[in-house]
Amino acid sequence: MIDYIYDGTFDGLLTVIHHHYYTDRAAGIFTEGLYQPSFLHDSMTVTTDTAKADKVYQAIRTKISEYDLRSVYRAWLSCDPEKEMKILRYVVLGFREGHRTSSLHGDPVVADFQAILKKISQESERMLQFVRFSVVDLPRGITESLPEPDQTTGNAKTGPAPTACDAKAGLAACDAMAGLIGLPAAAGEIPAGPASASDQILYARIQPDNDVIALAAHHFSDRFRNERLIIHDVGRNKAVIAYRGRWIVSAFSPEQIPKASAEEMEWRRLWKQYFDHIAIMERKNTRCQNNFIPDRYRKHLTEIITPDEDTFRK
Amino acid sequence: MNENLMTKLQILADSAKYDVSCSSSGASRHGAGRMGSAHMSGICHTWAADGRCVSLLKVLFTNNCVYNCAYCVNRRDNDFPRASFEPEELAALTIEFYRRNYIEGLFLSSAVEVSPDFTAERILQSLTLLREAYGFAGYIHAKIIPGVSPELLHRIGLVADRLSVNIELPSEESLHRFAPQKQARQIFAPMRQITNTLIETNALKGPGNMFKGKKLNTAEHYLGEERIMGPSASAGFHVDRKRKGTFAAAGQTTQMIIGAGDETDRSILTTSEKLYRTFKMKRVYYSAYIPVVSSPILPDRASAPPLKREHRIYQADWLLRFYGFTSAELFGRGGDNLDPDLDPKVTWALRNLDRFPIEVNTASYEMLLRIPGIGDISARRILRQRRFAAVRFDDLKKMGVVLKRAKYFLLCCGRYYGGHRFDPETIRNGILQLENGLQLSMFDTGSGDAGTILPGQQTPAEPVLGYDQNWKPLPEGERLEKLSAAGMV
Repeated sequence: MIDYIYDGTFDGLLTVIHHHYYTDRAAGIFTEGLYQPSFLHDSMTVTTDTAKADKVYQAIRTKISEYDLRSVYRAWLSCDPEKEMKILRYVVLGFREGHRTSSLHGDPVVADFQAILKKISQESERMLQFVRFSVVDLPRGITESLPEPDQTTGNAKTGPAPTACDAKAGLAACDAMAGLIGLPAAAGEIPAGPASASDQILYARIQPDNDVIALAAHHFSDRFRNERLIIHDVGRNKAVIAYRGRWIVSAFSPEQIPKASAEEMEWRRLWKQYFDHIAIMERKNTRCQNNFIPDRYRKHLTEIITPDEDTFRK
Repeated sequence: MNENLMTKLQILADSAKYDVSCSSSGASRHGAGRMGSAHMSGICHTWAADGRCVSLLKVLFTNNCVYNCAYCVNRRDNDFPRASFEPEELAALTIEFYRRNYIEGLFLSSAVEVSPDFTAERILQSLTLLREAYGFAGYIHAKIIPGVSPELLHRIGLVADRLSVNIELPSEESLHRFAPQKQARQIFAPMRQITNTLIETNALKGPGNMFKGKKLNTAEHYLGEERIMGPSASAGFHVDRKRKGTFAAAGQTTQMIIGAGDETDRSILTTSEKLYRTFKMKRVYYSAYIPVVSSPILPDRASAPPLKREHRIYQADWLLRFYGFTSAELFGRGGDNLDPDLDPKVTWALRNLDRFPIEVNTASYEMLLRIPGIGDISARRILRQRRFAAVRFDDLKKMGVVLKRAKYFLLCCGRYYGGHRFDPETIRNGILQLENGLQLSMFDTGSGDAGTILPGQQTPAEPVLGYDQNWKPLPEGERLEKLSAAGMV
């Protein structure tokens, strides 16, 4: 039994699982920075091999189930320090039991794994709840290169679906957005469209424990499909950038975002005013409120912090 | 934007907050309109200081009321600041809050200004502006004012996701006493119309699991002789599946006030059950009476709102909708009010102890749901695991079963884990002690986690009472200390 050290990617984890079967059983799985050599076990650094990772990926999908494949990926997004070993044990059990693994709720291996999944789904629900956008004006001179927002005004209930961007235009739009905030754009032409009517971005900061912003990206990109969105995961320096139904996750550092406008401060004050007055004071129950809004989410919630603070600089 | 809008929002939110309905669930809509979507299970965006979820912008369109309902802060005689929105103001406010992901949508109610139809026209104007000019595709909950005309109700339903007419008070006598300008038939006529239109658009879903598996959108559930609106008016009654989702996609709800009059819990829940079975409402909301105005016929201004009672009524309401209970079952020979110390499910189980203990490995889903401490999710997990492996006592906790209540009522692989005596008093005291106070002698069952074989096989030589006759509830801090010392939290 040996300790494995991998590079922290999902393919790397699948490669380790492959080694667990074909090289030596795993005693522990660690990422590069976090390993402390132990007397009990030797260690081996695993280089990610896509062929091996693919084999394991297909094996999970066929021998266990599609649902379990998605669960394994979601569990990997977690911040649990033991997640790799828990995933490994679950996969090993899964290869033995097949599709019924996820029904064996009493088994400690399955129970541990499902506890991680529960935390992930709770947190991705919180992403839908606690993300608060601020309207930020684009820097001058950028607007000419951006495509027009969708102008359809159909009835909300029976209106036409937004025109599906072809992949190249959509990706280019995201590139344009990435370009405006100073990131290197991926390959692709930026279409020279007419000047945009509205020159605003919706920017949000959030700090989840687990790496779940990508799980919420589809919801926001569908809901605000004609707005330019940046959802910034502060702790990981990543952001979801979305526009016209397409979204990407890219590295992001916060210095590039300009200050919020005075009008934005007005809307924040209105929201806080509403939030304060909608509570019935005779029924005040701070403990109940604290149960629902843990402390770690409060620093980015507009209604709880003082709205005049410039939270972007924090 | 100006101070004016700030003041208006404050006044109109202050007026609207006593309308407790806050859910944004029931409608699913993606890829429509210019901005927005509706999430089927609803999303709570934040929680206010009273612990309630905030998911909608809940405001009155105006709080200038011509009615004089005794309990309402906006009643005509009350000295309270008045304000009104302009439709454009309200629409802009909604859109700007929505863009910033503060809210899921709009909850729009109103005081009765001039007449019900006048107010309804203004509400319709705001909602149409929001839907058409702004292309808003989020969630809208519109309150219907009793006495509104059927045409206006129909048009509001075409732009709103959820409609509600407040029944206000559980009985007609109370309604007449506290809100004489609202008449019972003016409340039930819109309710009937909404239910009928939902049937015609094949969209009627009952509350919770009450009508699961049954066809609701048929002529037999159609109510009375109300006018049929819309294209099928000339064709007589028929169900048009293509129109599903066009009218009030998220269904109908209502609200009643608890504690204003002197109705018993039994009459409140019987009324709710009738509302569910007749109108197939999605939900009935209960609002504990908060004395915001002084009135000789209502409880005193200084009296505390009946929050505990409201909590028990909500628990009973859940039992009606999701657990297959009827209101007759909830109230035994005992009395007309729910037990304030224990939840209704436990009191029902104690009254019907002959059906327990239930073996979890062989019971049906409906019987599993009846065990206190087992809810829908735990029951489904038990069923799922049962197909492949026996469910053991240690597994139950991992499945989310609340063992401090459930262990008295179930058998696991033939063994009983609820102590030595199986009678209502012992079990009741056991549960109360664990919930409210703590006597360490309670945990000295002698046999630990191995469970006890039921009487009939082998009884202990000396019967152990299992509870201390002199226990009393402990204060909160001490209780938590003792519970954690015993490893219970």
